[in-house]
Order: sequence, then structure tokens, then C-alpha cells
Amino acid sequence: MRILVIEDEKKVAQALKKGLESEHYDVEVAFSGEEGFFLLHSQKFDLVILDLMLPGRDGLEILTALRSKQDKTPVLILTAKDAVEDRVVGLDAGADDYMIKPFAFPELLARLRALLRRGIDGQVLKLKLADLEMDVVKHTITRSGRPISLTVKEFEIIEYLLRNHGQVVTREMLAKDVWEETQRATPLNNVIDVHIARLRKKIDEPFVKKLLHTVRGVGFILTERTL
Amino acid sequence: MRIRPSSIRVRLTLWYTLILACIILVFSISVYLFVKSRLGQQLNQQLDKEFEAIAGEVSEEPGDVRDLEPESSAKLFQLVQGKNVFFQTGPYQKAELPEILSVPTVKYRTFQSASGKRFRLITGPTKNGFVLTVAQDEEALWGSLRTLFMILALALPSALVLAALGGSIMAVRLLKPVASMAHQAEKINAENLSERLPVQNPEDEFGKLATVFNHTLTRLQNAFERLQRFTADASHELRTPLTALQSVGEVALQEDLDAGAYRDRIGSMLEETARLTRLVDSLLLLTRADRGELLVSRKDHDLTRLVEKAVEDMRIMAEEKSQRLTTNLQRGARGSVDEDTLRRALVNVLDNAIKYTPQGGTISVGLKEGQNKIIIEVIDTGPGIAAEHREKIFDRFYRVEKDRSREIGGAGLGLAIAKWAVEANGGRIELDSWENHGSTFRIVLPK
Repeated sequence: MRILVIEDEKKVAQALKKGLESEHYDVEVAFSGEEGFFLLHSQKFDLVILDLMLPGRDGLEILTALRSKQDKTPVLILTAKDAVEDRVVGLDAGADDYMIKPFAFPELLARLRALLRRGIDGQVLKLKLADLEMDVVKHTITRSGRPISLTVKEFEIIEYLLRNHGQVVTREMLAKDVWEETQRATPLNNVIDVHIARLRKKIDEPFVKKLLHTVRGVGFILTERTL
Repeated sequence: MRIRPSSIRVRLTLWYTLILACIILVFSISVYLFVKSRLGQQLNQQLDKEFEAIAGEVSEEPGDVRDLEPESSAKLFQLVQGKNVFFQTGPYQKAELPEILSVPTVKYRTFQSASGKRFRLITGPTKNGFVLTVAQDEEALWGSLRTLFMILALALPSALVLAALGGSIMAVRLLKPVASMAHQAEKINAENLSERLPVQNPEDEFGKLATVFNHTLTRLQNAFERLQRFTADASHELRTPLTALQSVGEVALQEDLDAGAYRDRIGSMLEETARLTRLVDSLLLLTRADRGELLVSRKDHDLTRLVEKAVEDMRIMAEEKSQRLTTNLQRGARGSVDEDTLRRALVNVLDNAIKYTPQGGTISVGLKEGQNKIIIEVIDTGPGIAAEHREKIFDRFYRVEKDRSREIGGAGLGLAIAKWAVEANGGRIELDSWENHGSTFRIVLPK
């Protein structure tokens, strides 16, 4: 999977490149609008991460040019412009997703995955990690065959973690996708921590192998690996 | 284009002088006309008397008018008998006065001679059948009128000059407070916003103006001080996580640690970054709200459900502290609100209540519909808020505990955001509090 990052802030661009490469993506970086425009015209990418405020050529200009020649390469806008109008303008110009800086890297990865698998896999109704199994339709979850009783919220959280297992999930992602909170900076973080603590008690405590881990400063991960 | 004199003093003086000029002009014309008519009447009376006297003499001595008393011959008259001039005195002839042969319809007439002199004539019959015409020189009358005209013409401009001077001086004196106010106001800037204009007489217009100006200054000063406090508080709140970031990073670099320990240090730094991000997001939200850039789209919502959902989201926090979180919600209350912002207000108020209510306490949430409003109450059994803090509790960064303990306190923006969120929905947020007996936050929304 080839990803083009058009970002003029060198530190951010390098961090993105390294982070994405460690996730086995093939990454090209353009530090200016001109360079990005040229690369987009000469090569084929599976996805573009685009900053809006760029020297030379504005991000929106690049996006408009790309869409005007019927190029449907998914574009994720990554910008510090966080007003609702900016978001609307970006999405109207043909962007597939919009993320605001500062961003959490795991969230960026999750969104990239979502964009890249768009239209490929359908809704998975049975989820499984090690001996933890979930039936989304029947609303049941078992570990080692033993049913676990969860509250509605706990079920939604574990389902979200299972769907993203092996990947770090941030509190912001949970707030947005499980609580449907559109705004940032809400007091939900503490609420999420308490839910996770309770979930851990039910899913992991009675078992030797721990699945739900906290990644300090980032979020949570459901994985078989030991951290 | 109209010319507008720039200074009020000049305008006042001009108007004043103009009005005075009109008054004096009308007055002068009236005086002139009055004097003229009175002098004319006097002349007519004199003519009548003379006519009587000469007619009397002519009737007594019809024979030879040439023998009339000597002073009579110096007078201006003529006698006509039949259709012929019977007699004209020397001066009458000399003045080239007309030969009037019959009695005209007008009694007093003015006749201008070829030399330009004006005379007034009276013609009438005598008892013995003469037609007598007596004339009087009008020179004296016109002389008096000319003098009067001269006096008036000289008096008008000098009076106006005096009036303009006086008016100007008066205007300067009257407007002096304005000049001194402007001078004072000019000296007031950000450094000495506490200075005020002197109010000499609070009852008059200038006093009122100065008072109003001073009130504006007070509001400006308050706003400025709030801004300064806000900037100082914001810097402090930003510096705390920045300091933590820097010291954790520096110490980690000095130590020789294994990968796990480094990961832990980085995690700790990321926690501070998250705190910074939240703080900047909140500040940005409030700044946008202040500038009116945050548009809320209010739609009809089931408020009961909204409150219920917020309570259920936060219930887990109360459970952690073994608090009872009870609800008494009237069903089906609806209102036109922006769901996201109102939920935010509710969550922030609930979060605040749970934070400050001790372990095992009770928080009750109520919703009831009033006449044309919906009242949502969050009643806690916390320590309550002392009177001196109540007004400021919704201020940004305001915290009752001055130690700014970050464990419970947060940044102190939650209630400020709640206040904005409620007001953005057309409502208001109120606080009732009893020290040591808990607080009630009341959100009042229009229906």
C-alpha cells in the first residue's frame, strides 16, 4: 500500500513516515504543495494524507485538481484548521476524511485502515481473539466458552476493541465512535477509564492470559501479545 | 456643499449672532416705520393748524391778501379764485409748487419739486370762496429720519460684533468642561485605566456625559483586568503540563533505562500532551464562542431523553465514589436545543457535582416543565460554595480551591463551557448554594 504524505512541517512529516512505515506502508513524503502535486501526477498512490496550509500550492487546490480529473484516490485531510466550515469545505472538495491536529497516531491508523478497506469487507458479525469470542447478532460474549455478562456500554467497547484488535485505540476514538461525542475536550476520558477498568475485571481478571492492555499516554489495546 | 464650521464654539456663536441680527433688524425696521408715521402725523397736524390760521385771515380780510400779516408772507401758500391763481407767496413761487385750481380728493399730498425738495400740501376751500393750498417743507422730517437711520445702521453691526464676541466667550466658558474632559480622556490608556474624568456637576449635561464615560471606563477596566487575569491563568495552566513534559523528558535522557522504562516515560509525556491538547481545545472553544463563530443549530429534541443519556453516561463516575445518582425527570419534555452543546453542559455540570460530592453522597437530577420554560436541576450534597465564590464560579479558570489541585480540579473551564453551552441554547444557568449543605445548579431553558 503506497501512501503519499503532503506535509510541510518536517518533524510531523518524518514522524508520519516512520510511523506508517512501521505499520508496513510504503510512504512517499512531499514537503510542499508543488512537490505533492507533481508526485500525484506522475505516480500512483493508494491514499493521500494532505495538509491544507502548504507553501506553494494550497492543499484544497491540490484536492480540487485531483478530483477534477476523476482520480478517486482516497484523501485524508490532516490540518490544524478545525472550524466546522473548514471541515465542510474540505469534505465538499472531495476529501474522504478530515482529521484535526494535534492528532493521535492510532486514530490516524484506524482511519487509514477504514479508508483503505472501504468497500472490501462487509460487516463481520462474529469476532474472535484467542479464546475471547463475540457474537454481535446474539449479543453474547464468551471467554474459554464461559459466558461473560456485560453492560451495554461495556459490550460496545469490547466490540470496538475486537474490531481493532492488535491496534491501539485512543480515548478520543472511543468517545467519538462509542459515545458519539462530536466535540473534543469533554470530561468523558475519566468515564472511559472506569469502563475499561470494569471491563478488564470481567474479561481478564479470572484468566491467566491478559488481553486488554493500557498503553500509557495513548490508549488501550486488545492483543494476545504481552506488552 | 454646505460649509460646516468644525468647532461647536464657532457654530454656537454664528447661530447666536445670526438670530440676534434678525431680531435687531426687525426691531429697527419697526422703530423706523413708527417714527416715520408719527412725524408724518405731526406734519399733517401742523399743516391743518396753518391752513386754519391762513383761511381765517383770508376770510376776515377778503380784499387784499397782500396786506396779510407780514409773517404770513414768509409762508408757503396760494389762493385760487375761480379758475385763476389769485395769490402766491414768494416762497411758494420760489419753490415752484404747483398751481392747484380745485380741491383734490386727497387731503395731504407730497409734492417733489424740480430741485428735489419734498413738500406736503393741503388744499381746501375758504369761507369766502377761495381755494387755499398750504405747503410745508418735509425737510425736517426727512432729516430726522435720516439721522435715525444712521443711528440704527451704525448700532446694528456694532451690536452684532459685541454679541459675537460675548457669545464666543460664553461658548468657550460653557464648553470648557468638554475641552478638559477630552484632554483627560486622551491621557487614559491601558496603563492608567483606573483614572476617571472629574465630574463637576453630576446634574447637568456635561456631568452626565462624564458619568456615562466613567461607567464605560469602569466596564473597560473590568474587561481588561479579566483579560489580563485570563491570560495569566491560561499561561499558568499551559506551563504546568509543559514543565512536566520537559522535566520528564530531560530526566529520562540522563538515565540509562531499559526499553520498558523509556516507554513508560514517553507515555507519561504523552499524558501531558493530551492534557495540553484538551486545554487548548477548551480555550479555542471558548474563544470561538466569544467571537460568535460557533453556530449551534437548534432543533426540537426530547430533553428528558437527553438528560437521561447524560446521567447514564456519568453514572459510572458516581458509582466509583459510591454516590447515589437519582433522577426525577418529567417525561416527554421537549425543547429546541442543539443536542451536542446541551449535552456538553449537562455532562460538565454532572462531572462537577460528582467531583465535589464526597464518597457516599447523593446527587439528584430533576427535570420539570414550567409555564414556558424547562428547568433542569442538579442537586449535590457537596461542601457547597461560599458566597464570595458563587458569582465567579462560571468564570474561566476560576477555582474555589486556590491550590489548583489538578487531581480533581481540571483546568477550571468546565463550568465556563457549561455556561456558554446553556446560553448558546437560549437558556441560563443559575447556582444556589448553602455552605456545607451542597449546591444546586439550575439550567433554565426556553420551551
